Amino acid sequence: MAESLTTEVLRDAIRRLSAQAESCADELSAIDGALGDGDLGVTLVRGMRSVAEQADDLPPDLGAALLQCAKALVSLSGSTYGTLLATGVMSAAKAVRGRTEVGWRETADLLGGALEAMQRRGKAELGDKTVLDAVAATVEALRLAETPDAMLPAARQAVREAIAEFRDRAARQGRARMFGENSVGKDDPGMVAWLRLLEGLA
Amino acid sequence: MKKILNDPFRYVDEMLEGLCAAHPQHYQQRGPHGRVIARAGGAVSGKVGLVTGGGSGHLPVFTGYVGKGLLDACAIGDVFASPSVDQMADAIHAADGGAGVLLIYGNYGGDVMNFDMAAEMVDMEGIATETALVADDVASAPLAEREKRRGVAGMVYGFKLAGAKAEAGADLPTVAATARKALDATRSIGVALTPCTVPQVGKPTFQLGEDEMEIGMGIHGEPGIQRGKLQTADEIASTMVDALLEDMPLASGDRVSVMCNSLGATPPEELYIVHRYVAGRLRELGAEIVMPLVGRYATSMEMAGMSVTFCRLDEELEQLLQAPCDCAFWRV
Repeated sequence: MAESLTTEVLRDAIRRLSAQAESCADELSAIDGALGDGDLGVTLVRGMRSVAEQADDLPPDLGAALLQCAKALVSLSGSTYGTLLATGVMSAAKAVRGRTEVGWRETADLLGGALEAMQRRGKAELGDKTVLDAVAATVEALRLAETPDAMLPAARQAVREAIAEFRDRAARQGRARMFGENSVGKDDPGMVAWLRLLEGLA
Repeated sequence: MKKILNDPFRYVDEMLEGLCAAHPQHYQQRGPHGRVIARAGGAVSGKVGLVTGGGSGHLPVFTGYVGKGLLDACAIGDVFASPSVDQMADAIHAADGGAGVLLIYGNYGGDVMNFDMAAEMVDMEGIATETALVADDVASAPLAEREKRRGVAGMVYGFKLAGAKAEAGADLPTVAATARKALDATRSIGVALTPCTVPQVGKPTFQLGEDEMEIGMGIHGEPGIQRGKLQTADEIASTMVDALLEDMPLASGDRVSVMCNSLGATPPEELYIVHRYVAGRLRELGAEIVMPLVGRYATSMEMAGMSVTFCRLDEELEQLLQAPCDCAFWRV
């Protein structure tokens, strides 16, 4: 990963994430169909397409650029997953307002702040078996990474472990909660989607 | 299920086009995708705006209640799906007359999250908002966990009473307080006899045996409290009235508005059979019914079934209920 986050790095990341959303849409929708309404893949594709359309017009101010991304993410779909991600992006946007560069060591704190905002909006606790548990694992891994190149591999590994850890627990939040014990043994669709996004950044 | 439609993915857009074509004196489409319905005359300068939003499939809820003495704008999602944050922000803009905007809508996770985010976005532009959540379905959670209850037909009382307060010129905190008072005095419970079909999905949202009913089932097919053999109208009504009174006891001298609402397919005849029973029960208690509402107010596509709502009125709420209002589906 790059030494620092700039709008140029962001632009590149958006292109990768958008392509990744397209290629894992069917898988995500299938997993989501078992525990939710099965639209997660489509949701992610629509959201990322709308962000990708903005990529060329993003300003150098990272705060303004991220705000534009957050708005694009929620422009089409009303899905809670998109809104949660946008909430995180908006929190990061506020934290870096006016800056054109953020050092790699800061990104863990930026994502940590995003996680807190997402928890408030989703009214979910860590441990409820939602995407928040995957984000929390990512924050932890980023904090421990000693070089920029170590960040993404460590984050992916941590999220894979989190998914495995939660597999046999029951979901306590979101639509999957309605399925209660039926969610035991199934991976949370939101956590898997987060992992796929991280894999897309490689 | 047979449906009269063209492209299932254009279902909501074509419905909105028809709604505005039929009632241009009441409604206009707004927003880049036309997914906001605003009053034909636009925002009223100096008046607190009222905005709601939610999935389609519930007409007259939500869209239909845009009108004088009621709502100013509504964001509309696909059938049973939340509108996007952008659409909600557009609805807030369409309702903003410079005196702030009250967001009044049903307590569903997706809608709450999206409206909260929309409120955050318009706040950065200087539009003040307050929120009043409708959580009237007594079957969806026990009284001790009232904040988890879903919003159903009782939201119509919220729209009417808060809408009248805003029309009378009250400021945002006052309109919000009136909305909360009205919703706090409102309780509903439903019974489902058949499922419904979301056009984009094409199959029924749940299964219910030919001779079965489910009391307390949510308007999107959320699980209820009692599934069993279909009973008589009086038996069903008795179970529903008992549940409502246990949650919000009524005493002699109380004044209450009662709504017997069809979930879509149940005809007015059957609603009146139930109203007859409900009126008798309240008469026994010595409670007085004010402005009973019998008809289709909040539906769930073509679901057969109905709901009963009680709204206990104090002097202020009764005046607001009697105040004039005008939309394509309800005139007082």
